[in-house]
Amino acid sequence: MTQYQYGIGDRVTVKDGTTLFHTRTQAFTRGKTGTVVEFRPEWVIPEDEAWGRDDAERGGRYEPFYVVRFRQIDLWPNYTGFDVDTLETEVSEHWLEPAKENQ
Amino acid sequence: MSPPRSFDSVAGRVADLAPVFREPLDSPYEISNELYAALRHVLHDVGGQIDLPLPFREKPEEQWEMDTYVTCECLGWRGAWNSEERRRAENDLGATLYFGLPYYARWATVAAKVLINKGLITPDELTAKIDDVRARLEAGA
Repeated sequence: MTQYQYGIGDRVTVKDGTTLFHTRTQAFTRGKTGTVVEFRPEWVIPEDEAWGRDDAERGGRYEPFYVVRFRQIDLWPNYTGFDVDTLETEVSEHWLEPAKENQ
Repeated sequence: MSPPRSFDSVAGRVADLAPVFREPLDSPYEISNELYAALRHVLHDVGGQIDLPLPFREKPEEQWEMDTYVTCECLGWRGAWNSEERRRAENDLGATLYFGLPYYARWATVAAKVLINKGLITPDELTAKIDDVRARLEAGA
């Protein structure tokens, strides 16, 4: 069974980590805080899969993935749409950390 | 009121006319960390970037495009590569080739490069085959 570190409704921040090479963690989400809204199955992280390490035998590391929902106004400094507009994207677990904010 | 039908072409022409600034890069002696980060940016990650509308063309896939797609999927099925390797290889083409090639031409290009890189084919084998096919097509034309 997949062990999910975060639960539905948890507030998480995408790490603003250095990217040297391939990644699927979009630049516009880095350092942004959103809410976990769905679980995705455990899968090889793209940072391994992209180099042919696409299963455990070849050294691919599996991680749970989450659908994280962001408010558009949190993502774009000049957003002119509605405050309730959201964007969802998938993030692997090691890119997330618990949000440092007062809930 | 809907925009005039010529909006796309006008917007395209405006894009061609508007002043642009391109930082000339020719193996500079030094670069800033900021430029290094921009140069490293994964090209397919375009979310939030400023852009103009592209003219929409009602264009079905051509045969070579579907052949490319099926070939690439079969290469994945047979264990030669996976889709994420393909995406990385596309990004690794660099901005000029990435944005310069049609979508499936990017696939075909990186399929060849990855197969060579993995030793599954040799460059001379591939170019000899290309010459064969070209001769056949020219004879049939």
